[in-house]
Amino acid sequence: MSTVLLDGTEQLINGLMYGCFYALIGGGFTLLFGVLRRFNLAYGSTIMAGAYAGLIPVYLFNAPVLVLFVTTIVVSVLVGLLVEFCCFRFLRKGHELAPLMTTIGMLIVIDETIVYLTDAVGLKYPAPFGDESLALGPFLIRPDYLAILVVSVVSFSAIFYLLYRTRFGRAMRAVAERPDAAQILGVSVRHVNVLTFVLTSALAGIIGFFAAVSVGSARPEMAAWLTGKGLVVMVLGGLGSFPGAIVGGLALGVLEFEAVWFLGSSYRDILAFAILFLVLIVRPGGLLGTRTA
Amino acid sequence: MEYYVAIGSIIGIHAMLGLSVYLVAISGQMSFGQQGFFALGAYLAGLSTALWGLHLLPALVLGVVVAAAVGLLVGFPALRVRGLYLAIATFGFGEIVRLAFLNVRYTRRIGDRVVGPNASEGFRHVRYIYDRGITPLEYLGIILLALVVVVILFYFLERSKLGAKLRAVEEDEVAASMIGINVTRVKVFGFTVAAGVAGLAGGLFIHYSSYIDHDMVALPLAIASVTYPIFGGLGSFVGPLLGAVALVGLTESLRTLHGAREFIYGALIILTMLFRPRGIVDEALVLRVKGWLPLRAARRPAPAP
Repeated sequence: MSTVLLDGTEQLINGLMYGCFYALIGGGFTLLFGVLRRFNLAYGSTIMAGAYAGLIPVYLFNAPVLVLFVTTIVVSVLVGLLVEFCCFRFLRKGHELAPLMTTIGMLIVIDETIVYLTDAVGLKYPAPFGDESLALGPFLIRPDYLAILVVSVVSFSAIFYLLYRTRFGRAMRAVAERPDAAQILGVSVRHVNVLTFVLTSALAGIIGFFAAVSVGSARPEMAAWLTGKGLVVMVLGGLGSFPGAIVGGLALGVLEFEAVWFLGSSYRDILAFAILFLVLIVRPGGLLGTRTA
Repeated sequence: MEYYVAIGSIIGIHAMLGLSVYLVAISGQMSFGQQGFFALGAYLAGLSTALWGLHLLPALVLGVVVAAAVGLLVGFPALRVRGLYLAIATFGFGEIVRLAFLNVRYTRRIGDRVVGPNASEGFRHVRYIYDRGITPLEYLGIILLALVVVVILFYFLERSKLGAKLRAVEEDEVAASMIGINVTRVKVFGFTVAAGVAGLAGGLFIHYSSYIDHDMVALPLAIASVTYPIFGGLGSFVGPLLGAVALVGLTESLRTLHGAREFIYGALIILTMLFRPRGIVDEALVLRVKGWLPLRAARRPAPAP
């Protein structure tokens, strides 16, 4: 095989694995958007809060990574419930921009609290998967990317099962489709909203853990970066389409890795946003979306 | 004194950004990309005075024209989508501009300084107002003068037929097109003027601070510019002005509180939205205030005999 093809394939594998991570972020945004028809800009901050909180037992008691992982998820869920309570529950209906603004307010509150408590210094994160690359035939693979792949497949399967095989999933899809009709048929919209927040925030915990592990530290810039990627993936796939988020995430991952390898890292983000802009204009509904903008 | 002059300058510049978002918002759209036009205006105006030796006024005008032209070019395709899609598309545009400036290098050595956009170093040493001996207070006057010009423009725009068309498009696009309004043209017009206003803010900013870099036109600036009109209210151009004065003023007056400052800022936004979801100066308030004005009362038709 020629080197170009070989390199291209290696980046394709890496891109697909890292794309799973993007798909997780996009999936979280999409589930929230699908059910609430609202946009939660504080989601990136929820992820970051979990990632930072996971470090507390490690720094205090030198706890093992599993404790860190569980703490991350638990704290993310708590923060998610706080966001729901402060930004959505008491909001009057029929105002599109108000929830955008309340979540921006929440984003500022969470981010600044973290910056204040940590003096804006990145905190070192443990590397539970080692940093030795695994050899798979001619290709080198990072172990943490492999872990991301496994965890994403498990998470996606769980979410698909929940959405399409359980009563709660059916209620969620009903609320996403027609909230008022679902309410009349006896589905508690508020209940579904809260449970959706619990679900997506648990996902946020997983995302936060891997986001911090893959760069080796928890940093305050995380939130903005995660929000940017999440939005791009969500729009690429089509707003509110969960399978779309997976496709969008994988596409973005592959695209970025190939771009870094062949064009250089300074083009990575420009390319991502240029593609986003083009997709929006040519196919406003996203790759798998059916709803028109 | 210098401190208040600095705050005044920042308020003036941010108020223009707020007005820029507001103009897009009153046709029912939301832009997270005005910082891209701000950056374009800043770089063009900075280049004009620092490298091409232009006077401040033509430099600002050039910045406005280029920002507006790009607004027109971006607006045509971008305004085909709306709502959240547009918010994200415009944010994508803003990021493209920011990342482009992160890679652009066009410098010249003047004396012992390297002047011009210098990739990640940013655009430094725009020393026009220092070289001409313009004091910060005088420059604040220039900023406020520009703001007054923009506000007068907005005042007449709101009362014009075009302003009514923008509001009609926000209310109901289908109905607006049924009564013969060219919805796309109205939206693109609003977007273009808004881009020009953001470009003006950028041009004024780079001469105020003497430099700009890509970090200054990232997501936080987008969030700030969107916050002013939504917090201040979308009922009238007074809303974004009030938003900029209140929020910049609040940030500055809480400076001694360190960590608690941003906390209060965020909490205030949440509380305001819970009680006034369309901002402080919403349509209802505008109507009520107009009812108080004697001017309005005089124009009411006389009761039928």
